Amino acid sequence: MAALEKFEHWYHNRHEYAREWKKRTGGKVIGTFCTYVPDEILTAAGMLHSRILGSHEPQDVTEPHIFGMFCPFCRDSLAQGLKGRFNYLDGIVLAHSCIHYRQTFDSWRAHIPTEFTYYLPMPNMVQSPSAKSYYVGEVAKFKAALEEYAGKKITDADLDRGIELTNKNRRLLHKIYEFRKTDPPKLTGTEALYIATTAQFVDYEEHNKALEEASEEVADRTVDRDPGIRLMAVGSENDDVEFFKMVESVGATVVIDEQCAGTRYFWNEARIQPDRLQTISDRYVERPPCPTKDYPERQRFPHVLQLAKDYKAQGAIIMQEKFCDPHEGDNPVLKKYLEDNGIPTLGLEFDSTNPLGPFRIRVEAFLETLRTDDLF
Amino acid sequence: MYYAGIDAGSNTIKTVILGEEGIASYHVIKTGLGGEEQAARCLEEACAKARIGREEIACIYCTGYGREYLNFPQGRKSEIICHGVGVHWILPEVRTIVDIGGQDSKGIRLNERGEVENFNMNDKCAAGTGRFLETMATALQVPLEEFGACALRATEPVRVSSTCTVFAETEVISHIARGKKRDEILLGVCQSIVDRIAAMVRSIGVKPPVAMTGGVAKNPAVVKLMGDRLGLPLLLPPEPQITGALGAALMARQDILSRQNSQPALSG
Repeated sequence: MAALEKFEHWYHNRHEYAREWKKRTGGKVIGTFCTYVPDEILTAAGMLHSRILGSHEPQDVTEPHIFGMFCPFCRDSLAQGLKGRFNYLDGIVLAHSCIHYRQTFDSWRAHIPTEFTYYLPMPNMVQSPSAKSYYVGEVAKFKAALEEYAGKKITDADLDRGIELTNKNRRLLHKIYEFRKTDPPKLTGTEALYIATTAQFVDYEEHNKALEEASEEVADRTVDRDPGIRLMAVGSENDDVEFFKMVESVGATVVIDEQCAGTRYFWNEARIQPDRLQTISDRYVERPPCPTKDYPERQRFPHVLQLAKDYKAQGAIIMQEKFCDPHEGDNPVLKKYLEDNGIPTLGLEFDSTNPLGPFRIRVEAFLETLRTDDLF
Repeated sequence: MYYAGIDAGSNTIKTVILGEEGIASYHVIKTGLGGEEQAARCLEEACAKARIGREEIACIYCTGYGREYLNFPQGRKSEIICHGVGVHWILPEVRTIVDIGGQDSKGIRLNERGEVENFNMNDKCAAGTGRFLETMATALQVPLEEFGACALRATEPVRVSSTCTVFAETEVISHIARGKKRDEILLGVCQSIVDRIAAMVRSIGVKPPVAMTGGVAKNPAVVKLMGDRLGLPLLLPPEPQITGALGAALMARQDILSRQNSQPALSG
């Protein structure tokens, strides 16, 4: 298998991968809720970080547990647990972001037994001067809880290893994302989605190795498709591969994203400081914020715009996860902000399954408006 | 030389044949089971009306929901662009189009060259579309063609508060059961669709003059209420249902002209 194909394979066979990893290493697999979970600590503990994501299939199992107006991502994620697809998990951990997600975690904890569960109160007010000193204490408690569960100390050497592997992963993801900047882009948005999303559940050593190999493959690539319009994808947990494939089949390439299933997960490295836990916890306080944490100063908007400029996006698709209040609050303002800065936008509302036909009509019309000069 | 545009919509297929002198003919048929055959039939009928053979058509462009399923057109364009081009050709002063079709409704804002500046479409359901009116027409046993005229006979609308087509139908049936007057319910149904679409169109910023297109523009009650709601008189193309197909035909002509290295001739 070519290295680039590995990511797609992992994406579609994530459960088989985790089971095989467990069998091979004898390690614990911890399901993670939210990209704010410090995967460094899990890696340091010799555990596999295994992001809980949805499957983008219709489901009928969550109604008794969480409300229908919870975001489709939460419902889709919980459905995977209720259907037993994550039955290999030894534990779950949630880093606090939004209420829908916390209640999804609570429902999982109540109905799907695992040996270890942990609620990590990641502060929403990351701009507060006390956020860092608070969060490092919470991360220390999380580390202690994992030590107690595993019956084994997490040493400084373990933490160094955790930090090094995750930081290396971030550097390699940045490196491969560079191939999206080229004209034509050497990497499609669909490929990048496979690559970035799998970082959230594949052992970093393996993912890093595949990234190194894939970067070499991509560097030598000659692009044989017409890249069309360069688009940005802005959203939250929108790992809908079929949508990205559709967009890239009608005359566009997604060249950059700002979403959890993408850059928001890996964008900044942990700055090495003398205190290892501070190194880890500060990384999450400083990272490109989720809308739940972007207050009072709006730091997300200039970050989104900078990404659009750096990757030369000609337009942006704003993928609104239905009922996701934090993003619903951001998107009208973000839309105006991007348009005022010369980036036209198309807003689409996402469910766990999406009507690709009607979406295609909207995307094609949007692309035509960006290509108007060719028409006349 | 002749050019054709086919708008393969969810409910009807529209064909426009464009000659040197303007529109040579047009034809509208029900989509039915759709597909290539039905679109070809529509094209043949339009050719017959124009008294030309299909071989005389230099280029065919296709738009609409079904365009992906047709193999014979030389080009495909979205209905948003096509409505813009079609309306601009007939009514060049128009800056905003309200298009209500069988399963989509759109607000389209144009610049002075007829290019799309901004657009918005209905959500992923039948609320605020022609299908909504059809369902209500069936429930009230009124032929679609008479819907608007009957509604305009009422003085006060009976309020229909559900936007969901299925729930609205239930609501309409309960109004009938309570003995409300049919025409008043019809007016209420028109008001409900207008409320929904006007809000959507406003989100793109309404620039006058405004034109209405699509099959629903043939419903005089919806047109009147929409004008009242937007506070503007609405312009109507002589045949509002075919502007998408016309836009496609104009783009087919543009395709040939640009290949002949001529100057663009989309306006006028």
